Amino acid sequence: MGNVLVVGDAPRGKLGAGSLEVAAAGRLLADALGARLVGGLIGRDLKDAAETFLTSGVAELYVVDDPRYEPYLGEAYAAAGEAILAASAPRVALFPHTLDSREWVSRLAVRRRTGLVTDCVRLAVDDGQVVMAKPVYGGSVVAECVVRDEPQMATMRPGAYEPAAPGAVGRITPLEAPPVVPRARVLEETREEGPAGPRLKDARIVVAGGMGVGGREHWHLVEETAAVLGGAVGATRAVTDLGWVPSVHQVGLTGTSVAPDLYIAIGISGAVQHLAGITRAKTIVAINRDPEADIFRLAAFGAVGDAQAIVPAFVERVKQLRK
Amino acid sequence: MNIVVTVKQVPDPNTPPRFFTIDAAAKHVLAPAGIPPVMNGYDANALEEAIRLKEQRGARVTAVSVGDAASRDTLRRAIALGAHAAVHVEGPPDLDGGGTAEGLAAAIGKLGEVDLVLCGRQASDTDGGQVLFELAERLGWPTVSPIKRIVQVEEGALVVDRITEEGSRRVRVELPALIGVSSEANQPRYPALKGVLIAKRAEIPTWRRADLGLGDPEPRVAVRRLYVESREARTEFVAGDSPAAIGAKLAERMREAGLL
Repeated sequence: MGNVLVVGDAPRGKLGAGSLEVAAAGRLLADALGARLVGGLIGRDLKDAAETFLTSGVAELYVVDDPRYEPYLGEAYAAAGEAILAASAPRVALFPHTLDSREWVSRLAVRRRTGLVTDCVRLAVDDGQVVMAKPVYGGSVVAECVVRDEPQMATMRPGAYEPAAPGAVGRITPLEAPPVVPRARVLEETREEGPAGPRLKDARIVVAGGMGVGGREHWHLVEETAAVLGGAVGATRAVTDLGWVPSVHQVGLTGTSVAPDLYIAIGISGAVQHLAGITRAKTIVAINRDPEADIFRLAAFGAVGDAQAIVPAFVERVKQLRK
Repeated sequence: MNIVVTVKQVPDPNTPPRFFTIDAAAKHVLAPAGIPPVMNGYDANALEEAIRLKEQRGARVTAVSVGDAASRDTLRRAIALGAHAAVHVEGPPDLDGGGTAEGLAAAIGKLGEVDLVLCGRQASDTDGGQVLFELAERLGWPTVSPIKRIVQVEEGALVVDRITEEGSRRVRVELPALIGVSSEANQPRYPALKGVLIAKRAEIPTWRRADLGLGDPEPRVAVRRLYVESREARTEFVAGDSPAAIGAKLAERMREAGLL
C-alpha cells in the first residue's frame, strides 16, 4: 500500500497558502485509504517553511533545499519532484495548482508516465478508487476522473479545502536532486502593485460590472458600490476589452479567479468565460435587466432592472443602513 | 526562424452554460448546437505573436491542430490570419492531453527544424493547461508560460516577460523553446479578405497517427462521470414599484441575510 504524498510550495522560502490546503486534502484521502501521509517541499532556505508544513500531519517530510530552486526553473523543479517521488513511493501525489506547478508537475507526470488531473476541487475514495473532480467548460460541467497509473497525480485548486489544522509533528528527511543545466535565465523580477483597494484575488467582497452597466460613463456605479462595501472592483472580459477598466480587473477564465464571501454582479449576464472565475464565490447577488440571464441561476438575491436606476438607490440605502 | 503555433478548436466560451449538454453514455460534453466553435482564445493570442514575428523578422509560421475533421476550420482561419501552412493531426480529444501532446510532438518532429513553438497558455474547454508542458517535456525543450510579452529576439534566444503570482519576471530562454502566450500579449487581428481567399485554396494535409509512427492513444486519465453541477441557488428576486425601490429593498434584504 503506497503513501499519499502532498507537495507544498515555498516561493522565497515562505510556505505558500495552498500547501496546508493540499495537506488537508491529502489527510482526508490518506485516512480513507488507510495510507500514510507524507510531504514534500522544494525551494531555497526552507527551514521555516518546512517546520510549518510539518505541523500539517505529514509523518515524513522530504525536503529538497538548494539555492538553485530560487528563482523558479521548471526543469529543475521537475528533477527535484522526481527525487521526492522516488523516495516517498506514493500511490497518490497532490500539489497546489499554481502558475509554476502547472509546468513542473505536468513535466513530472510525463517523466513518470502517469496521468495528472489539474485544478481539482474535490477528491473522494469510491470502491477503493481515488476519484478526482474538476470543473470543465467554465465550471458548468464537473468531470470525475480516475488516473489509471500510479502515482495518481492531481493539482488542487486554491481554496478547495480549508487549511490543515495542526496535527502530530513528523520528521524531516533531506533529499538531493541532480542539478539541471538551465536553459532559461531570469533577468529581472518585478512585483507589481495591484490596483487600489483590496486585491481582487483575496478580496472578501467583489463588485463586478459587465456590459449591462451601459457604458464607460456609467462605470462609476460599480466603483461606488465597491467603495461603499469596501470591496474590490471586477469586470468581465467584454468590459476590459473595451478599455472601460484595465485588464487587471478582469474576472473569469482569462482573468482572475476570485473567492469572495460576497460577489455582486452588475449588468453581467453570465457567460461561461466569466462564470469560470467565480465558482468559489460563496454568495452571489445579481442586478441585471434580463430575468433569464444565467447569472441569476447562481444568485441568492436578484434584482431585475436597469443597473443605472437600481444601483444608486442600493448604494444610498447601504449607506443609511450602515449609519 | 521557423515557428509552430498549436491551435485548438473549442466551443465558443461566450456561450451561456445552459446551452451545454452531456452525453452521459459517451462521457463527453456536447457543444451547443447552432453556435459555431471558435479558435481557443489564448491560441489566437499565440498565433498573433507568431504573425507579428513573421512581419517583423520574416519567420515561417505553421499552425498545427490535433482533433477531429472540424479542426480544419480553425486551421483555415489560422492561414487566413497569416500562417503560411497548416497541418491537421488526427486525434480524439482527451482530458489530460497526453495523446494530444504526443501527436503534436510527432508532428513537430516530422516538420523538422522548428525553432519556436507558441501555444496558448490553456484552452477554454477543459482548462487543463497541461498540453503545452507535456509537449515541451516530450520535445525536451525549455518552456516559459504564461507570457505577456515577447521583449526581444536574440541570436538563438528569446527574451520574454512571464506573468507570476505577484507580478512579472523577465526571462531569457534558449531556442528551441516553447512559449505559452496569455491574453495580455496582444489583441488578435481579424482576417483580411486576401487572407480569406488564400485560406480557401490552401491545402491542409491530415496526418494520421500511423503516419507519425504512433499507435492508438493510451489515455492515462479516465473520465468516470460527467455531470452538470447543481450550483443553482434558489434566487430571491427582490420586488418593488420602481428601480429605486428595488435597489433600496435589495440592500435591506442583504442586510437581513447578514451579507452587509
